[in-house]
Amino acid sequence: MDSTLYRLVYLSRNTIVGDDSRLQEEIDDILKASRRNNSRAQVTGALMFNSGCFAQVLEGPHDKIQETFERIQCDARHTHVSVLAFDPVHERGFSEWNMAYVGQDAHNLALFAGLNEASGVDFAALDGDEVYRLLRGHLEEAETA
Amino acid sequence: MDECISAILPESVQASATGIAILDDQGVVVYANPAFAVRLGRADSQALVGTSPIPAWTRSAGEDERRALERLLRAPEAGAFTLPVAGDSATTLYLEARRSDRRIVVATTGWPQPGSVPRSVVAQLDALTGLGNRAMYDEQIRCLGNAGAGQVATAVILIDLDRFKQVNDTLGHATGDSLLVLAAKRMRSAIRGDDTLIRLGGDEFVILQYRNEQPAGARAIAERLVELLQRPFLIDGHQVNSGASVGVALLGHGTSDPADLLRHADLALYEAKRQGRSRYCFFESHLESRAFERRALELDLRRALGLRQFSLLYQPQKSFSDNTISGFEALIRWDHPARGRVSPADFIPLAEEIGEIHAIGEWVMRTACQQAASWEGDPSVAVNVSPIQFESENIVTVVRHALDASGLAPERLEIEITESTLMSNTEDVMQRLWAIKAMGVGIAMDDFGTGYASLSHLNSFPFSKLKIDKSFIQAEQSPRARALMKAILAMGSSLGMTTIAEGVETLDQYEELCRGGCTTAQGYYIAKPMTPETIEHFMRACRAASHHPNLMIQE
Repeated sequence: MDSTLYRLVYLSRNTIVGDDSRLQEEIDDILKASRRNNSRAQVTGALMFNSGCFAQVLEGPHDKIQETFERIQCDARHTHVSVLAFDPVHERGFSEWNMAYVGQDAHNLALFAGLNEASGVDFAALDGDEVYRLLRGHLEEAETA
Repeated sequence: MDECISAILPESVQASATGIAILDDQGVVVYANPAFAVRLGRADSQALVGTSPIPAWTRSAGEDERRALERLLRAPEAGAFTLPVAGDSATTLYLEARRSDRRIVVATTGWPQPGSVPRSVVAQLDALTGLGNRAMYDEQIRCLGNAGAGQVATAVILIDLDRFKQVNDTLGHATGDSLLVLAAKRMRSAIRGDDTLIRLGGDEFVILQYRNEQPAGARAIAERLVELLQRPFLIDGHQVNSGASVGVALLGHGTSDPADLLRHADLALYEAKRQGRSRYCFFESHLESRAFERRALELDLRRALGLRQFSLLYQPQKSFSDNTISGFEALIRWDHPARGRVSPADFIPLAEEIGEIHAIGEWVMRTACQQAASWEGDPSVAVNVSPIQFESENIVTVVRHALDASGLAPERLEIEITESTLMSNTEDVMQRLWAIKAMGVGIAMDDFGTGYASLSHLNSFPFSKLKIDKSFIQAEQSPRARALMKAILAMGSSLGMTTIAEGVETLDQYEELCRGGCTTAQGYYIAKPMTPETIEHFMRACRAASHHPNLMIQE
């Protein structure tokens, strides 16, 4: 099996309907499931979320990414999945996290919302590296804080 | 194990990686191999013996699945059923038809090892995806016919991947196969346990859906499939986008015979593709009559050349500078004994689709050159060439042979192409255009202004002529329209191209073009298309008239 490390960055639109607590419930559920699956599959990554969109980075062996992505694709909680990057990489950016959550705090949300605004409806206009750097930046900030 | 079981099963069953169980006439498990227990998420196959499938196998399933399995077990025919097992894995159960009060059930998450399961079940499975195959489809439809149609509103949902061929061609067959496997998994995630998912062959899949809430049930799945398969796949380090088109036929909703289901679903699929792909369509009776009409037209079209039903008319082109007829455009006519005159707008797209355009185009080229060679005064002849003809290297030979056989001077031939010719496979197309130009033949850009009107297309090849679409000529003469026309004419002349306006119908239009510096005009104002026999007379009348410029020529 191909052991090359790959990084996937994608955006999708959130289709969860309901109030904030329902949203939080679903997010917790997504994180719990992905952390469980990812630790088994040697997949690491980060998830970012606001009321409109998901942004996720997944890194790991090719076939594991593929498997994980297929599971994500069949999830009814989102739609309009747009792959921003899928490339071989030398090292993991999120080696410590089975699925880091770059939550919903006001600062992140504003940044992420800006991201959405810049790209409008057309996600494809966004750069995969940009999303990756954004997610990493947030995590580093959180660590030093 | 009793004797009956030993007789049915090969010895390898116990050790097989494929899950196998046997039920008695009451539907109770009399045998299960270890793999079967594993597929159901159970540790011990012995513990399954003596149990009844409904409570024992459906612990993690919902009420729907339970009922569907119950229905399958009650019926004596073969069937397939997907059962969610603990976690997010699923197991597909293939139920053999009941025989001598025994029934074999095969459980698999993938392709069972050949030889380890009864032959008739293996024969109904697709090797690549582990889904059912064409034989399973036929078997299920046969059972449906036997059971008497109409009890349940069966839906046949036909799925075709939109860009499978391109994936195969560009990324290789291994990637294509992976796409099929992943697409099959996505489809499986969208269906219910009692739906049957089958790979008919190639990139064609079908779902058999037995339920009463139709068409809502089929519509929900079709919608979901289109959405799911539109999402990107990750294969061999590539992002692969395929998309799918879906056609649906329903028993009791426009289809009465189960044997017609697949054909009707196919017609609906064709319609979905015609409407632009990545969508679903339901079968309607007018699709069938349209398909019959199309097929009849196709047959007639394939015979038209042999039966000499085509002819060419020629429409004169008049030069502004000296008021003489500088050339003619060859226009094809199809006169069918029963249909009457069929419009090129109706048969040319069909001829392009079925490939007949190559033969028809060659005939037009040969005939036009032949007839033009006899014209007095050496006017040019313009021949339309379809983008499809430029997909083949043969177009160069066709032009050369037509010139050689007729003896027509190459300078008198002009071929007209549309912008869409330059849209695909541009390098090969360019090479062919250059080869034809090198013979001395003129190349005109037809219908300019209606399509992309791309300046880079104009710049990509030294066209000899720019043919301005009639919509510009016939547009209301606003200052804006006039400015636009002026710009096109100026662009043509500065790029070294002559310009021709088509569809000139009035004196006003004619004079406006003349003032704007247009080179040539074509249209009813000058003359209607005419038969080759009348050209000589027409030319003579024109020459006489050119000495009296104010005299208009009428055919």
